[in-house]
Formats: sequence, structure tokens, C-alpha cells
Amino acid sequence: MRRVGELIGALLKNPTTVAGLTFIILLLGMAILAPLLTEPNTPDAYQMPRDWGAIAVPPGSPGHILGTTNVGGDVLYGVIWGARTSLRLSVIVVSLTVVVGVTVGSIAGFRGGRIDEILMRIVDVFLSIPELIFALAIAAVLGPSFRNIILALAVVFWVKYARIMRAQIIHVKENEYVDAARVIGDSPWRIYLKDVLPNSITPVVVQATLDMGNIVLVGATLSFIGLSEAGIAEWGVLVSEGQAGISAGRWWASTFPGLMVFLWALGFNLFGDGLRDILDPRTESSR
Amino acid sequence: MTAAGDTARPPRGSRDEVVLAVRDLGKYFPIREGALQKVVGHIKAVDGVSFDIAPGQTVGLVGESGCGKTTLGRCVAGLSEPTNGGVYFGLETATKERLDSLLSVTERTASQESELEQLDNRHRVDRMNGDAWRRYRRNCQVVFQESFASLNPRQLVKDIVGRPLRVHREASGSQLTERVVELLAQVGLGRQHLYRFPHQFSGGQRQRISIARALALDPELVILDEPTSALDVSVQAQILNLLHELQQERHLAYLFITHDLSVVRHMADRIVVMYVGRVAEAGPTEVIFDRPQHPYTEALLASSPDVDAHTVDLQALEGAIPDPALPPQGCRFHTRCAVATPTCGWEVDDVVRWLEDVEGTFDTLRGVTRMSPFDAWLSFEDEAAAASLAATLRSEAIPQAMRTALEELTVDARRVRVRFTPVDEVQLTVRGSEHVAACVLDRA
Repeated sequence: MRRVGELIGALLKNPTTVAGLTFIILLLGMAILAPLLTEPNTPDAYQMPRDWGAIAVPPGSPGHILGTTNVGGDVLYGVIWGARTSLRLSVIVVSLTVVVGVTVGSIAGFRGGRIDEILMRIVDVFLSIPELIFALAIAAVLGPSFRNIILALAVVFWVKYARIMRAQIIHVKENEYVDAARVIGDSPWRIYLKDVLPNSITPVVVQATLDMGNIVLVGATLSFIGLSEAGIAEWGVLVSEGQAGISAGRWWASTFPGLMVFLWALGFNLFGDGLRDILDPRTESSR
Repeated sequence: MTAAGDTARPPRGSRDEVVLAVRDLGKYFPIREGALQKVVGHIKAVDGVSFDIAPGQTVGLVGESGCGKTTLGRCVAGLSEPTNGGVYFGLETATKERLDSLLSVTERTASQESELEQLDNRHRVDRMNGDAWRRYRRNCQVVFQESFASLNPRQLVKDIVGRPLRVHREASGSQLTERVVELLAQVGLGRQHLYRFPHQFSGGQRQRISIARALALDPELVILDEPTSALDVSVQAQILNLLHELQQERHLAYLFITHDLSVVRHMADRIVVMYVGRVAEAGPTEVIFDRPQHPYTEALLASSPDVDAHTVDLQALEGAIPDPALPPQGCRFHTRCAVATPTCGWEVDDVVRWLEDVEGTFDTLRGVTRMSPFDAWLSFEDEAAAASLAATLRSEAIPQAMRTALEELTVDARRVRVRFTPVDEVQLTVRGSEHVAACVLDRA
């Protein structure tokens, strides 16, 4: 939107933000180029290919650069297609939660009164249960599948956006430019779209960036526990597959996917923090 | 007040019309307390204010911060709904007179009720809808005090100034851009400013953008809420000149809200002085400056830096504006008035207020049992405190006027009864042609 060039310039000045951005670009590149980097498994590319002739081979083995798991899954394939799975998970969950959270928060903040009271009490109920436990409970009730993990995470993560959005809107709608728009005779809906929403959305963007990382972390945890389908190319599942071999010295099956989860979460957190510093409304007006 | 030489102005609105009539306007904010948010009282920010604005006229609304002038401005702008009375827009003189006569009747007949109802629906701002509302929205615009806060930081100047035209479907596309350029030219800005954001301008320029936006729909009335008080003095003068020129060209009516009398001296045709939600004095500008009838107006004049000569021996304002939740009885200004008399509304609260200023004594006050605002028992921790209060109330320490108004002062062990002569709220009285003041003194 405004001053896009300035924004990018400021982001590139901060080394940790650049590091975060680098991780993100590498991981996203890997996710997007997955079908080119490895031969997709048939019929479902998101399922791990099994090489029963090479079980638990170490990294550097021919045809299995990062080795295989003790059920013959190629770790490299899991790492690359796992990035694609993670991207799918985080994009779907963040989109759903941002839409729901922003809608609920906007109605509560913009309308106020009784509706606000009711919606915020619902939000309080959701917030009172720890994220991971809540997601775990929902996913467990729904049964083990990747789709249910998406659902469980969406149910848990929308409340934060509702809270942030409501607080922002209550603050922004007191601005005189909102009064000025009312004096002109503009409708509440257009005042919301033109004046309130664009001036309230920044913290939501920051939170969404941070959540791109957090969701993959929590998602991998749920998969690790076994709430995903077995055999899916997903980092959490892979770590879980490999953990039995760690005591026997077969470190590679867990380490590489674990490292990927770490880098993914780190990348989005570093970038999100940098974004927050730059978009902070207190420093914004001075520039 | 239409000045001579008026005929040069383009005919805007009909001459026998009042742009705006404010009648007995009240805006109360509830004070809530406790877990259940029970309403325990009201802050009467505006409490029974009436005045008119004629086409092309500037009315200066003056008072200290907290006197209710901004709240009044918001009611006039249709931004907040009045609790009492109303703001009437676009009345013809005959209709206005009819309205006043209807409002003055205390017990209206059914036909009078329905006539008033009809007038309300057509002219009262908080009752309007449909065409009447759109007409009012086009014709009543606001320039706010904070130019930065009143411009959306994420919109370009073109979108900010063009927005009213777009909302009222007056122009679009390249035609809209041309209209915006014309408006910018009128306020001293140009085409080169179209595609900039508000933060790229100085305070004065931003205020010019605000003015251009307010003029976009060619309104009859513009409410100026302290439009220059956030600006440097030199820029202030430029903006005031601009506003004056625009008024001449477009025959605009202004409601100019300010805390500084000297700002409106050369702009306003009439001045309304507000104090704690009420009108203290109102009249033509020259009269207000030359022969103020209310001590509050005098005090305001005295505290205004460039008001000259004949006001030298006036006393400037001291003390704080009283809490509008508990406005003083009688004349609301009596607590700070230098020339207060015994009939100005001395009351129990004056004793309490006075005690608050006395070191030590206030801490020994245990309770106040009121029979009326003028009559109460004050109970103290010990007899000595009660006796010392009674002694001071008889002494020179308190104003002569207050002592005279004190009808009864009885000490009963640890309690003291104080009773003042009850006084009604001081009403506005006519002091001259179109000049009213709410003061018990008549110094004409």
C-alpha cells in the first residue's frame, strides 16, 4: 500500500529480519518447487514413498541423500514435501482464522454494546484453555487425520485475531477522521472499509506472520503425537517415525525434519518481529 | 448580522432564513458506578443553550475547556444526539417564529403537538431522515482542531477532498479530479498536492486540506472547532484570513468554536460565551468587547493577551472550572467571580469547596447531611473542628458576599448547620439589542 518501497528498505536494514526472510524464501522455494526437486510419489504425492529395499540407511547412501526411516521412507522426500504440507497447513489455517477473527473482532469493536459483550465472553472462554491442549483435545475428538488438525488449529487460533482487531477498532474509531467521514455523510459500512479497517489491520498482519510459524510448530506437535494419518509427508510424522531409531544411533530420520520445523518457526518469528518493529504505530507517524 | 455592502455576495439560501437554530439544547453524559454500572448522576456538558445562526453570519462560541462548547459543536454537527431540546436546520424566519411560539407553550394541544412533530421531522437534526438528512449533511460541514487526526493517514489528498463529492454522487473519474484541483486552488494548494498523503504536509497545509474537504459540497454552514489553536501564530493568521475570504466568496455561515476571544474578534458577528454548559452572555461582537455585562466575559477578555486598553483593571480568571456533574447554584460563575453578591447562589458546596482548600480541616469533615443545596449539617471528627469552622465562617477569611448570604450558622457539639438563602438559577436577561447576559448585576 503506502510507502511500500520505504517499508522494504526498512525491513532489509535489520539483519535478523533479513535472516528470517532468507529462511522463509528458502523454505517456500522448497515447498513450491517440490515436484521439480523430487519425483512426486503416485498416486498421492503427499504420501511418503517406501523403499523396502533400503530400510534405515544412513545419509549419503545412493538414491537416499539424507538416508531413510526404519520403514523405508526417504528423509529428503519427507523434508521437501513436508515443506509443502506445512505451507498448505499454515496458509489454510491463517486464512481461516484471520477471516473469522477479523470479522468477529470488527463486529464487536465497531458495533459495541451488547453484541460486543457477548462476543468477547465467547472469546474469553476460548482463551482460557491453553492453545496446544485445546487443539489436541479437538483433534483427538475428531479422529486422526490431517484435515482434522487444520480444523482443530483453526478453532483455536481465531480468538487472538478477534481480540487484536476489537482493541484496534475501538481505538481507531475514536479518531477524528471517522467523525469527518460521518459528517460527509458516508455510510457506516464504507467508513469501516475505508477508515477503520485499513488503520486497524497492521497488528493483525504481524500476528498472522508470527502464526505462520506457530501453526506449523503446533501442527507438527499434533502430528508427532499421532493425530495425523500415518505415512503422510509431514515433519511431525517423520520425527515420530524416526524417534524409535535415535537410541540405536539412527539420528537422521528425526533430526532433519525437526530442523525444518525449527527453521520454519524461527524464520517467520524473526520476520514477524521485524515487521512489528517497523509497523509499530508509535514509530509510524514520525516517518 | 448582515453587514452593509452585503448585496455583492452571491445569493445563497434565501435572506429570510436562519441556517441554524439551537433551542434549549442539553447533552448529558451518565456517570456510572460499581459492578452493575448503575447510573449515579449526569454530567451536564451542555444544559439549555439556545442561539441562531443567520446565512453568511459567523457566531463565535467561546469558553474555557470543559465548558461544553465542543460537545455543543458535535450536537450541531449531528455527531452526537442531544439529550434535551434540539438543533434545527434550514428554517425560514416565519417557520422559526412558529417553532418558537410552539416551544414556548407549556401545555400543547393535540394539533400543536402534531404541528411541532412535523416541524421536528423536517428540521430537527436528530429526527431527520431521507432527503432532509441528506440536505443537512451536504450543508453542514466541520473543520476539526487536530488536522492530523482528522485526515485519514492512509488516503491520498485527492481521495480525502474528493470523498464528499463521491459520497453524494456529484462527480467521478477525471471530473472528480478537476473538482478537487479547483477546491485545492481555493485553499491555496495545487495540482501537485493531489497524490500526497497527509503526513507529507505541514500543520497549516493539512488544515487547508480539511477546509477544502469541508467546502467540497458547497455547504451553508461550517463548524470550525478550534481550527487554529494547534497552529503557530503566523500560520493561524493565514488560516483565519483564508476562512474570512472563503466566507466572503461563498456566503458561508460559521460556528466558530474557540477558547480565545481575540481569535474571533475580527471574524465573528455575534459571540456566545459559555460557562459550565450554559450561556453566560451572548451578543454582537462589538458590544461583547466594549460593554460586557457578565463578569465571566470580562475575565475572559482580561486573560486574552491582545485585548487592549479599557480592560486593564479587570481581574483575570482564577481557580478551576467547577465540576459539570455538580454545577454551582444560582449563577454558575459565583465561585470564581470577583464581584459576586450575596444573591449569586451561595450554597453548602461553597463551604465544602472552601474547606478543601484549607489544610487539615477537610480531613476532619465526616459527613454532610443536606436538606437542600442551601441547607445542611456538616459533621466533624471533634468539637474543636466544628467550632473552628463556625468561627472562620464568621470571619474575614471568606468573601463578604458569602457571609452575608449565610442565614443560619448553628453549632451543635460536633455538627455545624449552615443555611444560605435559596436562590434560583440565574436566567438570561435582555441587556440591549440582541444582547443577553445571565448575571444578577445590571451595570448597563
